[in-house]
Amino acid sequence: MTLRKFTRAEATAYGFLAVTLLFCLLPFIWVVLASVDPNASLFLSLPKGITADHFVKVFTANNGRRWFFNSLVTVGATTAVVVVVGGMGGYALSRTNAWWKSPFLYAIILVRVLPPTALIVPLYKFMLFANGLMGAVVRSVVPPDSARSAMQICGFVDGYLGLILVLSAMQLPLALWIIKTYFDLTPKDYEEAALMDGANGFQRMHRILVPLALPGLGAAGLLTFIGAWGDFLMPLTFISSAELQLLPIGLFRAFQRANTIDYGYLSALALLYMLPAVVAFGLARRFLIQTFTGGIKG
Amino acid sequence: MAMTYETRMAWQNRMLLVPAMVLLGCFILIPAAAAIYISFTNAALNGFAASHPQFVGLKNYVRLFSDEGFWNSLIVTFYFVFGSSIVGQFVLGLASAIALSRPIAFKPVFNAAILLPNAVPEVVAGFIWISMLGGGKYSTLSRIVGLFGIAPQNWLESVPLLMIIVVNTWRGIAFAMILMTSGLSAVPAEVYEAARMDGATPSQIFWRITLPLLRPTIFLYMLVSTAGTIAIFGLIYTLTRGGPGGATEIIGIYIYNQSFTAYQLGYGSAVAVIVLGVSVAIGAIYARVLKVQV
Repeated sequence: MTLRKFTRAEATAYGFLAVTLLFCLLPFIWVVLASVDPNASLFLSLPKGITADHFVKVFTANNGRRWFFNSLVTVGATTAVVVVVGGMGGYALSRTNAWWKSPFLYAIILVRVLPPTALIVPLYKFMLFANGLMGAVVRSVVPPDSARSAMQICGFVDGYLGLILVLSAMQLPLALWIIKTYFDLTPKDYEEAALMDGANGFQRMHRILVPLALPGLGAAGLLTFIGAWGDFLMPLTFISSAELQLLPIGLFRAFQRANTIDYGYLSALALLYMLPAVVAFGLARRFLIQTFTGGIKG
Repeated sequence: MAMTYETRMAWQNRMLLVPAMVLLGCFILIPAAAAIYISFTNAALNGFAASHPQFVGLKNYVRLFSDEGFWNSLIVTFYFVFGSSIVGQFVLGLASAIALSRPIAFKPVFNAAILLPNAVPEVVAGFIWISMLGGGKYSTLSRIVGLFGIAPQNWLESVPLLMIIVVNTWRGIAFAMILMTSGLSAVPAEVYEAARMDGATPSQIFWRITLPLLRPTIFLYMLVSTAGTIAIFGLIYTLTRGGPGGATEIIGIYIYNQSFTAYQLGYGSAVAVIVLGVSVAIGAIYARVLKVQV
């Protein structure tokens, strides 16, 4: 093996990338070290010993476990809703030639750029209104002593259902785009052949469409999960009771309590919280370009 | 039952879109329209106006134009968008994309490192950056610059706007890099070879070939990234909540604070309507650039 000399351009490239790498990874060093440090503080220091206590505490302490559970339930349900609703809608958008197709597609692009913060006030009022309706319904069918717990599940303000629907609506435009683009690539011939062979609607969906569109549905699901899992504004606005709190807000609030912050515990929690997002991001890596360009080209 | 196959399919398509339309309608379109209505009222979160909002015409908008907080927020937002997405993320993302387009060792490592800040949730990003920046002489940044003889300080109080620009740059390099990489890969290798044959220097190649050929990608990036940066909320809220003294109060945080901290829903909605208008304008250009295919 001969040692070849670096050209100047190569040296510049390596130098630049090394600095960028350092910039990108530097903030993570503290959270990783603090999560195993028995005496973790807000500041970077080499741990004197190593402990797994903080991670254990996430799953034994009531708060951490509950936040994880709440996040998994709402984000999981959101992903399911978006994949199903987006799957149906994306298929219809791909197959139709009606006059409303192109206005609809334009509208989706416009909806995607609306900042959620600009919608939050009317959204809050709408949710209060819907919550009132739902409350009336719940009180009329459920005995009074369990009405409160019923509202925690199907309420619109401070309830799972409302948060799931809001998160779904926010993630839906992107999912529609991706799935529509995917169905555009799958030829109509398969469906028509199945139709000729006498397959009914359910069989066509189950045997032909879903398998064909699986990569598109998967990509939409992953990106929905990432978006909803990291969302901060919606749980901040719509969840107030402690037992329904999600990970991002739980972490944020715990971090705000100036005097009694357990940095080791919060670091472990933060690492565990970011893990699913990072894994999903890694899996969705090759679809990312679509999210940024609106799903038009791969 | 005289429906033809086509009619049946047309109805089927419409029905399949109903759930999506209900979700988008209830949680995005109706709120967007309601924002316009609320912005003409004195709706509030508490007090008499909460139960009896009055129509006040353009009062909120008039107040907007003489409100220092609003103008301050616009200026902060402008610096924030310009500094982080148009300069920081773009320059570092383009440079990374160019560096990684060469045959380089450890490419996946560099790639993963650049992608990681983009993958973590906003709260985690805020959390770890507080350790970097907060706490005077013990913060990581103070200790690093201390090596060069710069005095330690509480960075989120001495240069808050610059710091949120740095943090958002950190978070978004990946986004620019991915887009620029796809733009670069569309440039045929022969173009570069031909230029090199003719004796072009690397800087000539960059300014005369790479940059002009990337122009459509760059334009698309600027649009998407500007819209995305205007929408940022959690990242800055967890870091500074808009403070100190409004120094980092980007428009999303201003709306939130006006509505839920100052309880003035009507006024907050007027700001929201302005932001919606700007976003729709960006979106319209964006849709045009993408040339929506039917």
